[in-house]
Amino acid sequence: MLPDTTGCVLSAPSSVPQVAEATLDLDRDDAARLRKGDLTGLDGLMGRHQDRLLRYLRRLLGDETMADDVFQQTWVRVAGRIRRYDATRPFLPWLLTVGRNLGLDHLRRYRPESLDEGPEPPAPTQGPGATEDPLARVAARERRERLVAAFDGLAPHDREVLSLRFEEGLSLKEMAALVGAPLPTVKARLYRAMARLRARLLEQGPRDEWQ
Amino acid sequence: MSGHVTDRLALAAAEALDPGEQRRVDAHLRECPDCAAQAEQWRRLGDGLRDLPTPVPSPGLLARTRATIERRQAEREEQTWNRAALGFLIVFGWTLTGVAWLLLELLVGELALRFERPLGPTIIWFGAYLVAGWVAAAAATVLLGRRTHEEGRLA
Repeated sequence: MLPDTTGCVLSAPSSVPQVAEATLDLDRDDAARLRKGDLTGLDGLMGRHQDRLLRYLRRLLGDETMADDVFQQTWVRVAGRIRRYDATRPFLPWLLTVGRNLGLDHLRRYRPESLDEGPEPPAPTQGPGATEDPLARVAARERRERLVAAFDGLAPHDREVLSLRFEEGLSLKEMAALVGAPLPTVKARLYRAMARLRARLLEQGPRDEWQ
Repeated sequence: MSGHVTDRLALAAAEALDPGEQRRVDAHLRECPDCAAQAEQWRRLGDGLRDLPTPVPSPGLLARTRATIERRQAEREEQTWNRAALGFLIVFGWTLTGVAWLLLELLVGELALRFERPLGPTIIWFGAYLVAGWVAAAAATVLLGRRTHEEGRLA
C-alpha cells in the first residue's frame, strides 16, 4: 500500500510497484542536496521520477510536444522552488502537482475547449453476450491500440484520473490531494472516466469485445 | 440473490471501493454469473489501462532540461550576488550621507565661528545634494524590491 498519512484504507492497485521507504529516503536526500544548489540532487530525482512525470503529463495533456515542454518547465520549477517542498512527504505527489498546475495552465492558454468534459456516460447495462469471452478472438496488440485510441479521445480530466489510479497507483486520498477536489468527487470522476472509456471502446471496436 | 451491482463494478476494477462495499460486491459476484462476467470485463479494462505503453523522455529532452536548469541556477546565483551588492551600496550610501551631514554641521559651525560670515547658500546646496542622494537610494530600493518580486513570481 502506498504511504497514506491520513489513514485512508483504500489501497493502490495491486499491480503497481510499491513505493519503497528507501526511495523516499533517497528523494529526501536528493532534495536536500538540490536545496543547497547541488545539481547531483536533481539528477537523482530526475532519474527516479522522470518517466512517471512524462507519462502523467502525456496522459493529462494528450499531446507529445506540449507534454515535453511542460516536462521541462516542471523540472525547472522544481529546481527553483525546491525550498517549498515539504521533505516529510513523498516527493512524487508534489512533483505531479507542480506538473499538473503547469499543464493545466498550458491547456487553458492554448486549448481551453479541451478541458470540457465529454457527455455523460450511459448507465451500465447487462447486454446479451455479457458472459462471452471475446478477447480470445482479438489479437492483444490490436486491442491495446484501440484502448490507446479510446483513452486519447477522453477529456484531460478523465485521462488524468485513470492515469493516476491505474498507472501511478495513487490512492484516492492522494488523488484528491493532488487534483484539489474532495474524495467523493474524485471517486465519481474515476467512475465516469471508466464508463466513458468503455463507451468509447464499444463505439470503436467490436461491441462484444468490451460489452 | 440480492440486487445487481453493475454500478459498482467499474470502481471495483479500480480497487476504489471501501472495504464494506467491496465485501458486498464480492458476495454478490459469487452468486450472480452475469455480474461476475461483467466484473471480469471491467477487470480486463483495468489491466489494459495498467499496461498502456509508457513514454520515455528522449535524451535530447533530458539534455535540454538539464541545460536550462543549469542556466537558470547560474542566473539565480548572479541575481543573488547582484542583490546583495546593490543592497550593500544602498546602505553604504545612506550611511555615508548621514555621516557627511553630521560632519558638515560640525564644519559649518567651525567655519562660521572662524570667518564670522554666514554659510547659508553652501548649506542649502549641500542639503539639496543629500536629499537627491536619499531619493535616488529610495528609488533604487523600490526598483530592487519590484524586481525581486517579479523574479519570484516567474521562478
